[in-house]
Amino acid sequence: MDFKFGEKEEALREEIREFAREELPPGWLTVMLEEESRDEDWAFAMSISKKLSERGWLTMSWPEEYGGKGASLWEQLVYLEESGYWGIPGTMMGISGVAWVGPSLMMYGSEEQKEKYLPLIASGEPDGVWCTGYSEPNAGSDFANIQTRAVREEDEYVINGQKTWTSAAHRARWCWLAAVTNPNAPKKHQRISVLIVDMKSKGVTVNPLVNYAGYHIFNEVFFDDVRVPESSLVGEENRGWYQLMTSLAYERGSLGPSGYGYNKRILDELVRYAKETNLFQKHEIRCKLADMAIEVEMQRMLVSQTTWKMSKGEMPTYEPSRDKVFNDKVQERLAITGTEILGAYSQIDPLHRDSRWSKLRGCVESLYWLFPGISISAGTDEIEKNIIGQFGLGLPKSY
Amino acid sequence: MDFDLSGDQKILQTSVREFLNKECSKDKVRELEEDERGYDIEMWKKMAELEWMGVVFPEEYGGTEGDFIDLMILVEEMGRYILPSPFFSTILSSLSILEYGDEGQKEKFLPKIAKGEEIWTLALMESSVTYEASGIKLRAIPEKEEYILEGTKLFVPYAHVADRLLVVARTSEEKNPKDGITVFIVDVAKTKGLEVEVIPTAAHDKQCEVRFDHVKVSKDNVLGDVGRGWDVVNFIIQRGAVLKCAEMVGGAQAVLEMANDYAKERVQFDRPIGSFQAIQHKLADMFTEIEGLRYLVYEAAWMINVGSPSDLLISMGKAKANEVYQRTCIEGIRIHGAIGFTREEDVGLYYLRTKAAEFAFGDTDSHRKQIAIELERS
Repeated sequence: MDFKFGEKEEALREEIREFAREELPPGWLTVMLEEESRDEDWAFAMSISKKLSERGWLTMSWPEEYGGKGASLWEQLVYLEESGYWGIPGTMMGISGVAWVGPSLMMYGSEEQKEKYLPLIASGEPDGVWCTGYSEPNAGSDFANIQTRAVREEDEYVINGQKTWTSAAHRARWCWLAAVTNPNAPKKHQRISVLIVDMKSKGVTVNPLVNYAGYHIFNEVFFDDVRVPESSLVGEENRGWYQLMTSLAYERGSLGPSGYGYNKRILDELVRYAKETNLFQKHEIRCKLADMAIEVEMQRMLVSQTTWKMSKGEMPTYEPSRDKVFNDKVQERLAITGTEILGAYSQIDPLHRDSRWSKLRGCVESLYWLFPGISISAGTDEIEKNIIGQFGLGLPKSY
Repeated sequence: MDFDLSGDQKILQTSVREFLNKECSKDKVRELEEDERGYDIEMWKKMAELEWMGVVFPEEYGGTEGDFIDLMILVEEMGRYILPSPFFSTILSSLSILEYGDEGQKEKFLPKIAKGEEIWTLALMESSVTYEASGIKLRAIPEKEEYILEGTKLFVPYAHVADRLLVVARTSEEKNPKDGITVFIVDVAKTKGLEVEVIPTAAHDKQCEVRFDHVKVSKDNVLGDVGRGWDVVNFIIQRGAVLKCAEMVGGAQAVLEMANDYAKERVQFDRPIGSFQAIQHKLADMFTEIEGLRYLVYEAAWMINVGSPSDLLISMGKAKANEVYQRTCIEGIRIHGAIGFTREEDVGLYYLRTKAAEFAFGDTDSHRKQIAIELERS
């Protein structure tokens, strides 16, 4: 048993902190999922992506031949925690490039795909930005129910259908698309393949979906007779579901640490605010902050345990789902209690978070407006709890 | 970072689990609840033979030179089996002898404890039922080579069978209530004026009221320095809190496993009830909370073990353990349905121990206060 990081990790932590101090505006506090929304924010995020790439951090755990530097999962954990804490934008290359497209390609992609796409993601350039086409109007939690078709015609696939809630589609150069290639398969799960689609292809239409807080994060994406070469198929035809399940479970594990870092920052900001305003002297406020501090530390341990399991070469099963549910719970608490601490100041429009009435740059109220949506994304809490029940506790399938 | 137990620690864990599985059935727990002593003397001897009592002592005192993590593993397993035993109070007392005792005291007491020859306990809490220094009212008045102790202690575990008591007393009134406190070692057999009465607790876990009526204690039997006893008390509370957390993690894990097994077996509407999301999601929540708690507690224990400042982590662990153990027991009973409400089903035995655990070494609010102090400092 040992709960400290090595010297290498601690040195990296310092380097990242220095980077954040140098590259981010003073007092920088970020709002989750914000960077895709406004053009100027996106441009700033991409400029940081480039710098992260130059440092070798953007895809640090990838092998060198694909633009990484073969860093350990512990170094990656530290990088993700710190980037979450300081709100370093541009770490994801869209929503999916760094976190799962790259690692999935390494597991299932052809040599040609690896050579083409991995260095693009690692470069931090706009041409390495991805979106993920999973959800459809009738395939949310029941993801295997997708209807988008990809029909083989000679050396091409012809794609028709509609995706929705597609985050960063309006910024992405590529789409990581799940489509039906065998509609007659006996099981829904055996119908699906993964394809890479150039978002500049003819027949791709992206319509913005603006959320209630005014952010343009996700989109509807229509595919009308979109033609992609057969070499766009990732892995085996009709094995897409199984490929996605293994690579996703593995990669969701890397999303926990940045969530922890972000939450720790919100907590620290709330503590600072409470001290500055003397709210800290109130017993109820002290208790609330204490309770949040416990949860945030628990989250740190949980995400570290997931990394530890992966670092031993074991496949995480329920742990990423556990960490996701826990992150949602912590954020809900931070958002609700945080806005209680800020009081009436917490009702400022997040799009005007630079206004003089807004406290802590609006990050707390933004979290409040956004956490219900964040908890739905990448698998609702209910779906994640099904996974925990089945794979963590060995309970029967519940749906 | 490494979340794993070492090879030796895994062996220890397995051997403790196997022993308790054999020796400490729930029928045994029920039997001991009705037993006057409240523990099994034969089992106690076997535990001593397994060298559990001296697990953290150096060899010269008859120990096996283990560390705090080893001790935590032992206690977690005891919590899993809700072992009724004066082990906890004895081992915690011995930790403070090891830390604050002089050479003579160590040589005199530790080997006996290691052999299982003496039962020790802590007479700390009083009628304020807090762990605040201001709650220590029991007076110790110097008289020649002795102190005279007057007052009453509450919720002293196994005092009715203890050979020695560590008594926290006030030797002088100072401005700061943490000053003027002294810890005494009281030999029960040789001391007059002690009265012990078992308090009828829900868990029948033999916590006692101990009344001190003109009790004489030799000045040689002070542990640590006169007037600076709060350091000792603080040490005891910190270690006690982490070990109590480990016990609660073990208990919560046992309840989760019982409820989970039951949910797989119990069929209603032609399906195991564990296939209903209402039940499954409850279990998933319990599981997540227990895992998070366990790592939090392990982290606190690890910090103690390596000598890092651990106040914050200890308080986080105890506040969370209080919440999680209680919540797990309540949901565990509900998942069992009406059978969980009976004396025959084991889950209730755990529930009956929630309050003893919650108020030992600091309630939730006191630990929240401590966390806030640490946050304020940061």
